[in-house]
Amino acid sequence: MNEFKVTIREQENAHVLDLLGYLDAHTAPVLEEAFQQMIGNGKFRIIVNCRELTYISSAGLGVFMAYIEDVRANRGDIKMSNMSPKVYNIFDLLGFPMLYDIVNDESDAIAKFAALS
Amino acid sequence: MKLRNVALLGSAGGLFITVFIINAILKVDVELQMLLYVREGAVALAFLLCYLYVHFQRRDSPKRLVQKIGVVSIWAGGLLAAFLCVSVLPLKGFDTQDLRIIPRDYVTVFFTSLVSIGAGVMAIVTQLLIKEFLLSRRKKGTKRNFYILLAAMLLASLSAADGKPLESSVVSTILFTTSILLIVVNSFRLAWIPYLPRREKVYTLLYSLLAFFIFIGIDILIANQNQIVSRGLLYFSHPLQVFVQLNSLFATVYFGMVFISTLFQLPTAEAFDRKQTEISSLHNLMRLINQVFDFNDLAETVTKMTMEVCQASGAWLEVLPTQNSSQKHGIVSNRNISQEDIAVLIGGGDKSLRQLVLLTKKPVLVDNLMTDRRTRHLPQLKKVGSIVIVPLLTHETVMGILYATKELDFGFDQDDADALSGFADQVAIAIENARLIERSLEKERLQRELMLAQEMQKRLLPQVLPVHPSFVMHAVSSPALEVGGDYYDVADLGNGRYGIVVGDVSGKGVGAAFYMAEAKGVFQALNKIYPSPKEFLIHANTALAGSMDKRSFISLLYAQLDVRTSTLTVARAGHCPMIYVAADRTHFIQPSGIGLGLTGGEVFASTIEEKTVAMHPGDVIVLYTDGVTESRNASGEEFGSERLRLLVESRRESSVEEITEDILQNVWNFTDAQGYDDDLTVFVVKWNGCDGSETAVHIST
Repeated sequence: MNEFKVTIREQENAHVLDLLGYLDAHTAPVLEEAFQQMIGNGKFRIIVNCRELTYISSAGLGVFMAYIEDVRANRGDIKMSNMSPKVYNIFDLLGFPMLYDIVNDESDAIAKFAALS
Repeated sequence: MKLRNVALLGSAGGLFITVFIINAILKVDVELQMLLYVREGAVALAFLLCYLYVHFQRRDSPKRLVQKIGVVSIWAGGLLAAFLCVSVLPLKGFDTQDLRIIPRDYVTVFFTSLVSIGAGVMAIVTQLLIKEFLLSRRKKGTKRNFYILLAAMLLASLSAADGKPLESSVVSTILFTTSILLIVVNSFRLAWIPYLPRREKVYTLLYSLLAFFIFIGIDILIANQNQIVSRGLLYFSHPLQVFVQLNSLFATVYFGMVFISTLFQLPTAEAFDRKQTEISSLHNLMRLINQVFDFNDLAETVTKMTMEVCQASGAWLEVLPTQNSSQKHGIVSNRNISQEDIAVLIGGGDKSLRQLVLLTKKPVLVDNLMTDRRTRHLPQLKKVGSIVIVPLLTHETVMGILYATKELDFGFDQDDADALSGFADQVAIAIENARLIERSLEKERLQRELMLAQEMQKRLLPQVLPVHPSFVMHAVSSPALEVGGDYYDVADLGNGRYGIVVGDVSGKGVGAAFYMAEAKGVFQALNKIYPSPKEFLIHANTALAGSMDKRSFISLLYAQLDVRTSTLTVARAGHCPMIYVAADRTHFIQPSGIGLGLTGGEVFASTIEEKTVAMHPGDVIVLYTDGVTESRNASGEEFGSERLRLLVESRRESSVEEITEDILQNVWNFTDAQGYDDDLTVFVVKWNGCDGSETAVHIST
């Protein structure tokens, strides 16, 4: 069984979700729950740190799509950072870079959020 | 059967007549010793035939043992009556002379002979009956002991054949005494009594007492040698007299023992009965567990057995609702108690008896509903005086509750509650089994549905690919589960153009399969209206947007072959790139474009681009889904697109079938034959080039 874990930490003006492991249809609910928790608490500036994300399946990609509208409607954003080339390739193939803000490093995302406020 | 009986009885009768004649002759001359032996032989043979007759008859009547004591008592009573009749009849009787018995007239001989035959038959019947008792629930030595006794009896009888009737020899006295000792030994075989139901014990007590007294009467009449009956028997046949006497003694001792033993066991009979019922109920239930296909039947039997287990006057079964089961719940069966009464008894909200059982998971026994503090506030019911309630437990959770009621106060004791608890455990298992069966049936049904869906989905893929002098095509698609989200299709667009599409719905399984079917519909509807691949994708996105779940999307690659211009135009919506194998190089063709269903019109349209490549004879293109490149081996390594690129590069000269097969085989080997964990599709096209004949071919189609 592939493992997947999400840890949430607050970083200046945003919340960072650290993804660890293998995100697929079986583990997607874990990430869903994290997003629901964020949105439920009115936290709309979300950075998803993918440093330790080893794989993401189409079902995993679907999770981001489920929440992006809500988040953006509340003048927030989901930014992604620290992707390994392999994971980036999956996002890229589907055209995610054209829809999401994918940055090299978490600090870039924090800076972008800071620039907004 | 009938013939055999007639033959047996007829022969026996003939022999008896012979004996009678011999006896009549002997009246005249007592000294005819030879005739005496013939007589004893005839008597023995006659009774052997009688024995056989009784033996065969017995097998035909399956009466209960206890009833047989009654029947034998009546027969013995009849014999005793006959004995008494002969005693009081004004018969002349016998004289004694030189230790011999001499009848005074033939009438005496006749009557005493009749009762003697009766006594002999009686002895046989009695002995067979007692044998039956002894051998029921027999132990190791039982049969042996009985046959030793029988042998001793026969020897004692035989020893009397020689010598004068009133003479007592040492040998016959020893054998007679031995027989009596053996009778006592055999009479301790009373193991059948404890297992009789209470009712039958009462009958046994009465019958055995009756039999005991009747046989004492017979004993007395036979033993007293001054009596006409005794003398008659001795005159009829001395060995027979011994045999009858020993058997009568045996019956007296045995039925005496039966009487005493039954008398002592009567007080515990009820408790014994109850245990017996409990055990047999549990046995029945064990059998029931294997017949739990009909839940209603199960519930009915459970309440029926509940009443048997604790002799209740009413019972009902409540099953608590559970997940994953469409099984009935609530009060599933009630017997001899109305729903209204049940509502009263389990009413009372948080403090009801039902709640108490749910909370404590232990049996609750109320001896008197009217005075018990837990129930005295309830409206009084005529039909219910006491109640016992036990939980049905599986894995420490209450799955249901079993209730039993009696009209009397103090109707149940702790034993009843314990018995019912034991029973409840079995019921819980039975209900659990019923649920498991239901679930597995349901699973089977779903499995069949899925197989059907699989068949349907296979038909959504092209059954035959177009054949054209300019190209050869081959495709294989294999879902990871029964159905999947991969899709490929080909359309003849006219004017020498062919549209090839390969797509992949996010996720897998049934959800993906529905979108796959929708993608097929969209492709078939739009490919002729929007001839350019880019336009097609833009409109497909719009068409799909309305019906797709936020989390789902479809990646699609649309490649359009034009045989007139030898070109291939490709547009991509988030799908894996296409591999293009030319003579000199192999590379990915990856025009930009995001997946269908990810975003609405404008943004989507702006991302889609089209690429066109020129095709040369021998060129190969490979379209695939991510199931190929994302297959992993045991150490988590992906097959990857580079490995795929190198593989197809090296197979440019192979046929499309070989290339497809090679790709699948390589992926299979790479995953160590673990199986594909995602839907997987490969579509290979080989370009043969325009040979000038294509136009003619096209016109003909």
